[in-house]
Amino acid sequence: MSYFIESLSAATSLIINLDHDVYQVVSTSVLISLAASLIAAVLAIPAGVLFSLQHFRGKAIIQHLLNTLMAMPTVVIGLLLYGLFSRLGPLGNLGLLYTPSAIIIAETILIFPIMMNLAITAVSSADPRLIPTLISLGAKPIPLVIHIIRATRLAMIAAIVTGFGRAIGEVGAAMMLGGNIAGLTRTMTTAIALETSKGEFELGLALGLLLLIIAFILNFMLSWLHRPSHD
Amino acid sequence: MTKAYRLKNINVHFQQKCVLNIPELNIPAQKCIALLGANGAGKSTLLHLLAFTLPASSGEISLFGQDIKNKLNSQQRRKIAFVSQHPYLLPGSVEDNIKLSLTLQGIPKSQHRALIDSALEQTNTVHLAAQTATSLSGGELKRVAIARAIAYQPEILLLDEPFSHLDSQHIQILESQLKLYSQQNNTTVIFSTHDRLRAMTIAEETINLVEGTITQSPLLNVFHGTFEQQLFHTGKLSINTNSSTQQHQAHHIAIDPQQIIISTVALKSSMRNNFKGRLILIAEDAGTVRLTVDCGEQFHVTISPESLHQFGLTIGNTVHLSFKSTAVTVF
Repeated sequence: MSYFIESLSAATSLIINLDHDVYQVVSTSVLISLAASLIAAVLAIPAGVLFSLQHFRGKAIIQHLLNTLMAMPTVVIGLLLYGLFSRLGPLGNLGLLYTPSAIIIAETILIFPIMMNLAITAVSSADPRLIPTLISLGAKPIPLVIHIIRATRLAMIAAIVTGFGRAIGEVGAAMMLGGNIAGLTRTMTTAIALETSKGEFELGLALGLLLLIIAFILNFMLSWLHRPSHD
Repeated sequence: MTKAYRLKNINVHFQQKCVLNIPELNIPAQKCIALLGANGAGKSTLLHLLAFTLPASSGEISLFGQDIKNKLNSQQRRKIAFVSQHPYLLPGSVEDNIKLSLTLQGIPKSQHRALIDSALEQTNTVHLAAQTATSLSGGELKRVAIARAIAYQPEILLLDEPFSHLDSQHIQILESQLKLYSQQNNTTVIFSTHDRLRAMTIAEETINLVEGTITQSPLLNVFHGTFEQQLFHTGKLSINTNSSTQQHQAHHIAIDPQQIIISTVALKSSMRNNFKGRLILIAEDAGTVRLTVDCGEQFHVTISPESLHQFGLTIGNTVHLSFKSTAVTVF
């Protein structure tokens, strides 16, 4: 018990004293997740809105596929991308393996279906008069998508926040594609796994606490966006 | 006369049920026209069709003489404005909403200020410009939606049940604004209503709809039933018609209230329809008197105020109704 308490105390001290190693890992993790979230948002949200606007045969199948992809194990994404990015892989000459870009690509793929699904839900749960009103006011396809996103912006922000939360907590793909290189691809989750296995429990615990704080902030933001009185 | 719309062989189906069937309809331009019919008659469907927000299952529609094959182009879209029964304002102020409609129509920013002011003035909503949708009453919301619709100066204004869920004060305001707008701007105004009197007060012409079909009847004394030869059975009464064999597939008849003769004693005449009933309602109707007589089915009869005085009719009197078979419209 005293080991745990001592580790917790040391971890708190690392956080309070703004330990360089700890905050470098945090900043790497946040930057990678932010980049992945932004790229995924730019692609997934308009895709979700367009998907909602179209009526075509096979739409239900695509919806099921998206639901399946939402639950796709991260190590599978890591494995597939590893095959593509490794020296002998078809994209090996790009030199992406063990770079932050590889993790960003993996996390983007991971959160794209989540954001797109949430964007579809946002449109379907918006006021049913929104789309007919915009069309009757003369909205062409691109302005139509823009104004739908604008009208459902809170739900869209919630989709981005959810995607960011999923990205920052991801470990499998980041470990396989990033290689856990200090100062470059060491993210909070990979560092926790590594430091704990090395016996540096307090550093892992400090990062774990910070990850919990980030998760709490994200959940607080989601609750705030979804509060009933919010217009 | 210029036609705003020409519809030919239009059919609209929802879940394999035909909700609108219009063999031919011409709607003149620069007139105020009411679409009259009961709930479910197809008024909203026809308005959505005219707004091109709902495609027809089959048939042709032309707009100002131009056949519309697929979607409207920008110029055609700008000719039409549509205000739904329950208008929706986007997040932002009233002015933001009007500005949005101008932006979406591709109107240069330099013209926005003047057009917004004009729309707000015409709908008497200048004082609401900075308010958001959530702070508006039902009547204000409808007027703001009309302001947003007329801001880009369309040639056709379509309004779905503009008077529904409004109190009498707001109805009066809206009535006078619509009349004024139609007269001052040479715009084609088409609105749907189930209120025949309101339609007659504002509109220059009416289009009567019954179960998705257009009828020339004034939508009074409309009965649903089946034919047996020339006799129409409503379930409660049998009414003589002079229908042709082809018309025997029809399920509706209407009797012009002005063609029904009311008397206190049974008339001896060649008229083939004679019913005895009880007077249950006496009402003023646009300068005339409308009587409602219960003969098993309720009939509306129009007489002059002088005739009412002359007959000395009061509610509860037993009266006789007579009308010719030629007074019956089959549809």
